[in-house]
Amino acid sequence: MKKDFFKIAIRNLKSRSLRSWLTIFGFVIGVFMIIALLSLSEGMKQVVMNQMKMMGSDTVMITPGDSDNLMNTMIGNMKISEENIKTIEKTNGVEKVIAYNWKGETMRYNGDKKTIIFYGLPLDTESIFYLETKFGIKVAQGRFPEKNKRELLIGPVVVKEVFPGIKIGDEAYIAGTKFKVVGIARAVGNKQDDSMVALDLDLFRQITGERKDAPMVVAIIKDGYDQKIVSDRIKTNLEETGKRQRGSDSPSFSVINSEKAMETAGNVLGTIQGVVFAIAGFAILIGAIGIMNTMYTSVRERTKEIGIMKAVGAKTTDISKIFLIEAGVMGLIGGIGGMILGVGAAKLSALALNSYGSLAIEAYVSPGMIIYTIVFAIAVGMVSGYLPARKAARLSPVDALRYE
Amino acid sequence: MNKEKQKPIIELRDAWKTYNPDKVPVHALRGANLKIYPAEFVTIIGRSGSGKSTLLHLVGCLDIPTDGHVFLSQHDISTLTENELAQIRGRKIGFVFQQFNIMQNLTALENVMLPMAFLNTPYLERQRRSKVLLSLVGLEDRITHKPAEMSGGEQQRVAIARSLANDPDVVLADEPTGNLDSVTGDKIMKVFKDLHEKEKKTIIIITHDEDVAAYGERTVSLKDGLVI
Repeated sequence: MKKDFFKIAIRNLKSRSLRSWLTIFGFVIGVFMIIALLSLSEGMKQVVMNQMKMMGSDTVMITPGDSDNLMNTMIGNMKISEENIKTIEKTNGVEKVIAYNWKGETMRYNGDKKTIIFYGLPLDTESIFYLETKFGIKVAQGRFPEKNKRELLIGPVVVKEVFPGIKIGDEAYIAGTKFKVVGIARAVGNKQDDSMVALDLDLFRQITGERKDAPMVVAIIKDGYDQKIVSDRIKTNLEETGKRQRGSDSPSFSVINSEKAMETAGNVLGTIQGVVFAIAGFAILIGAIGIMNTMYTSVRERTKEIGIMKAVGAKTTDISKIFLIEAGVMGLIGGIGGMILGVGAAKLSALALNSYGSLAIEAYVSPGMIIYTIVFAIAVGMVSGYLPARKAARLSPVDALRYE
Repeated sequence: MNKEKQKPIIELRDAWKTYNPDKVPVHALRGANLKIYPAEFVTIIGRSGSGKSTLLHLVGCLDIPTDGHVFLSQHDISTLTENELAQIRGRKIGFVFQQFNIMQNLTALENVMLPMAFLNTPYLERQRRSKVLLSLVGLEDRITHKPAEMSGGEQQRVAIARSLANDPDVVLADEPTGNLDSVTGDKIMKVFKDLHEKEKKTIIIITHDEDVAAYGERTVSLKDGLVI
C-alpha cells in the first residue's frame, strides 16, 4: 500500500516542481550549513587532538598563568624565569627540561625582507634527540644548527613560499646578524610549524635581547614515573619556590599533561561546535518553515483530492501518511543536496585554508555523519509536514469534496 | 419482486440534516424516509435545493444525520467513527461524481487501483483487477493515460471503474452525466444499466434530469428535504 502513497506524494511534488525545488533549495542551504560547519569544526578537532596526542604520556608542558585562562597565557607575555626552569629540572622524576622561546623578527635574504617567527631551541645532543622524538622536529635535508654557531634550520614553507629558492649554504640576516642555512626541516603538515626558522637558543637570546626565561617549557619524564604524579610535583615545587621568593604574590603556573591538555582543548572545541550547531540549527529551522509553508499550500490546493481519497475509503492515517511522505521526500532530497554541497564546500575551504592560511585543517566527514544527516533531514521534513498533514487528515470529506 | 421480505441495504429513517444549527438553521433534510434494496436501480430526482446533495452524503456515508437514522446493511452509521465510515465507504460504496473527481496526477489504472490500496489489497491483485474493470468500461487501451489526456466520457468511465474497485454493494452516482454531452451521457447511463443487469449491483443515481431518472427501475422524488 505504501507504494501508491509514494507515487501520489512524488507526483504531487512533481506537479508543482518549481515550488517544490525552491522549498527543497531552502532546506538544502540549512543542511549545507550544518555539514560544512560541522565537518570543518570536526576536522579542526581532529587536528588539535592529533597534535595533543603527539605530546605523548611522558612529557609535561609548563606555562605561566592558569590553564583555566589560556588566553592570558597566550597573549599575556608571561614567562617562566630561569630560576623556575631550574626548579623544574630538579624535580624528582624529570629527565630533561626543554625550554625554548620564539619571537617575530625581520629576516633578510637576497635583499628581500620578511617577518618570520624565530624559534630559539636548545641544541645540545640530548635536546636534539628530544626535539626529534617529542617535538617532531626532524631534518629533511642538511643538519641541525650547531650550538653557538650562526646557523639556521628552516621550515619547508620558508623554502617554498617565504623565500622561494633559499637553500642550504645560503646566507640570511636576522636583526642585522648574518646566519647560514644549514638544514631544512621535514614538513609536519601544519603551516605555522612549517614556516618556522630555528636557531640556537643562546644566540636567539643575544640577538633578540630576550632574557634567560621561556614562555613555555616542556619537561621529559623519566622512565617508570607517572605523568600525573610528576606533574603535581612540578606544580608544588614551583609554588614553593615562588612563595619563598615573593611571598603570596607569586605567579601561578599551569602544568599540563597530555590528558589535561586534551580535556581543555576538548572544552574549547566543544564550545565552538556548540556555536556552530546553533547557527546551523537556525538555518535548518528556516528551511523547515519553508517546507511547512509549502505543505500547507499543498494541502489547500489539493483539498478536493483529499475529499476524493476519503470518499473512496482513505482513513485519516492514510491521508496524513501521504503528506508526511511528501514532506519527508523534500527533506531527503534537501538532505542529499545539502550533503553534497556541504562536503564539497568543506573540502574546498579546507584546501584554501591549507594553501593560504596558517591552519592545516581537514574537512572531516564520516559515514556516520552522512547517515545521521540524511535521517535527520528526513525527520525534519516530516516534522515540518506534521501539522499540514494533520490538517489534511482532519478535513471532513463533505467539505473537502465541495472545495473548488 | 417481493422486496418487502428483503432487508434494505440502505435505509433513511426520519433523517434530518440541519446546517448552521446555531445561527440561521437551514434544514436540508426534514425527516426523509427511504429504503433501498439490494440489486435495485433507483434514481432520485429533485431540483437544486431539494436536498439531493445532502441525501447523497448520507447515503454515501460521507456525513451523518443531525437527527434520525441512516442504516447501511442494518448498521446505524451515526455510531461509527470517522475511520470506520471511511472503511465502509471503501468497502461497500462506489462513488461516481458529476465532475468525475479522479486524481489528476494518476493514470487511469492507478486511479482504479487507489480504493484497493486503502484496503491493503496486494499490489499485483489491484493491478490485475483494475485492468479487468477498465476493460469492463471499454478503456482497456487507455490504462496509462492521465485524466488530462482523456475526454470527459472517458474520465467518467474511469470513475465508474474506480467505483467498482472494491466490489461494493452500492454504486452511488451524483449527476453522472451532468458534465457530458447527451450522446456521451447516454453511453454512460448504459454502462450503469449493464452494471445493474449483468453485475447485479445496487445502483443509486441522483439527478435533476428526467431522462436520466427514467433509466431507473424506481424513481424517488425529493422535494424540500422530504422524499415524496
